[in-house]
Amino acid sequence: MNKLPPSKPHEITELLEQWSGGNQAALDQLYPLVYEELRRLARSYMRREPKGHTLQTTALINEAYVRLVDQQSVRWQNRSHFFAISAQIMRRILVDHARRHLQAKRGGGAKRISLDEVMIVAKERSAEVLMLDEALSNLARLDPRRSQVVELRYFAGLNNSEIASVLKISENTVMRDWNLARAWLYQTLSETA
Amino acid sequence: MQPERWAQVSRIFNSAIELDGEARDAYVESECGEDESLAQEVKRLIENHQKASAEEFIAEPAFANQSSSGSRALAAGQRLGPYLILQHLGTGGMGEVYLATDARLDRRVALKVLSRELAHDKRRMQRFQQEARMASALNQPNILTIFEFGEINSLNLLATEYIEGETLRQYLRSHKLKLSEILDISIQILSALDAAHEAKIVHRDIKPENVMIRSRDHVVKVLDFGLAKPTESGSSTHASDLEGDTQYKTAAGTLLGTVNYMSPEQAQGLAVDERTDLWSSGVMIYEMVAGQMPFEGRTKSHTLVQILEDEPVSLSEASKFVVPDELKRIVDKALAKQVEERYQTAKDMLIDLRKLRKQLDVEAEMRRSVAPALVAKSQTTTGIAADPTVEARGSQTSKAIKYVILLFAAIVIGGGIWFVSKSRHVERPPSQTTVAPVTEQSLTYSITVQKYRNNKPFEEPFQLAKEMVFENDYQIRLNVNGSKAGYLYILNEGPHEKGKPAEFVVLFPSPKSNSGSALINDNERIQIPENSWIKFDQDKGMERVWLVFSQKAIPDLEPIRGFVNNETKGLINDSSVRDQVQQFLRSNSETKPTVEQNAEQRQTRITSTGEILVHAIDLEHQ
Repeated sequence: MNKLPPSKPHEITELLEQWSGGNQAALDQLYPLVYEELRRLARSYMRREPKGHTLQTTALINEAYVRLVDQQSVRWQNRSHFFAISAQIMRRILVDHARRHLQAKRGGGAKRISLDEVMIVAKERSAEVLMLDEALSNLARLDPRRSQVVELRYFAGLNNSEIASVLKISENTVMRDWNLARAWLYQTLSETA
Repeated sequence: MQPERWAQVSRIFNSAIELDGEARDAYVESECGEDESLAQEVKRLIENHQKASAEEFIAEPAFANQSSSGSRALAAGQRLGPYLILQHLGTGGMGEVYLATDARLDRRVALKVLSRELAHDKRRMQRFQQEARMASALNQPNILTIFEFGEINSLNLLATEYIEGETLRQYLRSHKLKLSEILDISIQILSALDAAHEAKIVHRDIKPENVMIRSRDHVVKVLDFGLAKPTESGSSTHASDLEGDTQYKTAAGTLLGTVNYMSPEQAQGLAVDERTDLWSSGVMIYEMVAGQMPFEGRTKSHTLVQILEDEPVSLSEASKFVVPDELKRIVDKALAKQVEERYQTAKDMLIDLRKLRKQLDVEAEMRRSVAPALVAKSQTTTGIAADPTVEARGSQTSKAIKYVILLFAAIVIGGGIWFVSKSRHVERPPSQTTVAPVTEQSLTYSITVQKYRNNKPFEEPFQLAKEMVFENDYQIRLNVNGSKAGYLYILNEGPHEKGKPAEFVVLFPSPKSNSGSALINDNERIQIPENSWIKFDQDKGMERVWLVFSQKAIPDLEPIRGFVNNETKGLINDSSVRDQVQQFLRSNSETKPTVEQNAEQRQTRITSTGEILVHAIDLEHQ
């Protein structure tokens, strides 16, 4: 069995409430708590699962959510917020891993990286993750919402209806945003390559 | 890019990609007007959209399995709504399959978590949901029951009946099938298809991986009705398909997985209907009989060409045992390349298969019954030196009577039988396959026994294989299955002294099973009682269970339905009705039906040549 979560569910729930109420300082406290949990879960899943079986990000976030957030007192709203913040965090975790993985391949810092961590992002995808992260940041300056759609789908593994509920837009809009953002990213990446 | 410009580009882009080819170009031109660079920008983006689609650019989340099929989302012990995950069963085409318990009903279910890939695709999801809903309305014993479809914790789940058993594919690998068994399996598959087609559901992916054989009673279950779409995505709700190939079309249009069961119209990508399932069944029956598939090329393309153009090796040539001409005719008809020449309905094919099984049964009985030594033996011995092949079938006491009946039957339908037996050696046009019509009633039943101790279930229920003496702690359940639709009445006669009136309790019809109607469907399986058990009371002696079955409602027995209520609990407390029932049973039980026990399947089949079948099951109670 897993260890107990690092924080009590009601603490995180409270922070989520405050954050959705507009308190940005709550996010600063929330972020590291969720980050730790997601990272820990990701690692433990990698250890537990045999090769060829990785846990999907969304299931991981779901599990983090179930473990971190007090289910009784949470409002649906907070779930969306939780997914939004988790997507950002997953993006950071994955980008960090990809970066370190590429460094490890070049020989730097190899010793400090455990195999478990490296496996999170498949070898071939490390470069894709890094490039995409950068392109996505550029897209965010041009079109924050469409960038977020990609973040939620690519980094957090959410499906269209989940994305729709997190961003409070229709599923059709999610689909259209995705098509446009993906075309733009593809174009940007193929031109820089 | 300026925000205004971007807004313009994205608006035109979004509308344009909904259109095709020339319409799209025309739309972009008209929207951009004089602004040539805007048009260029939009067109470039559309081009990249197409490339990104084709290459499945970032289609998979960053943190996911390399292979596009789903990844394990749940761990044993995890709760998901009412479900407790017990075990990961495997990965199918549509996602992961788990064994779980449903806490609400305390039953085991196979829980399928649909892959993200499928869940992402809104159109396919909608159709999937709609078809799952339709398929869940199918209520036929040979169709895997869909319990529920829904979303929990943003995972799309499909809960179905859990079958402990093997897929037909696995079964074929480990068993040598007898002709009778092949027919039994085929009949059950066609019964499933018949029910589904009635409900306008086409399976589209009939193959041995989608057929399961339940270990405990060898009941056949067809999986994934309304879910399987060979041209889109392979699928399976069970552990079944895990090793099996699933079929799906990739973006580029390549077919993956097995194509061997595809009909010619499927192979050509044409529209399919019910008759495609009959083709696939034909392929499967061929494979069971011959031990090899009718169409099997070096590559998938070769196989597809064979399906479209070649006639398979004749079934009698391909098979190691003698194939009845009629079976060959049935398979040939199912494998007609032109849909119009094929069987048009599952019912027609089912009827032919049933007729054939009956013929073969009668032939087999004939061979046994006409052997003089055997008849003499069964009449003179009391079970000391019975022939081993006969030992498995029928109890010693009923044997003598059985043979008398069979000889009688042989006289009545003798001409037909002689013709059939002869037909094995004489070539003849297939259309002449007929047996003289027989008014025959037949039922199959089995008894499930549950041992209790201190009012609690003590052991796993088991299927009764032979006679046993019941003790107080035992409870039983009766499973009855009629091959034809008809009226079924089941009564329990309590222990009583000779000459004294018996007590009768109505077991069927009951409000719980079949809504109080005595009429059961074609091949319907009735469990009595539906949700509980028959308990033995304290009185020792012989409990007798009467099974009565007829094509017509029986006026003498119809009144018993009035006693099935909460007050009487089935006890016939009106002496005139009771006497009428007793009188009916006494006068109709003189002609005993044929009783065949299938020790392997733990089932008993009773057949009567009369219009009314009356059979008594005696359960000794100590």
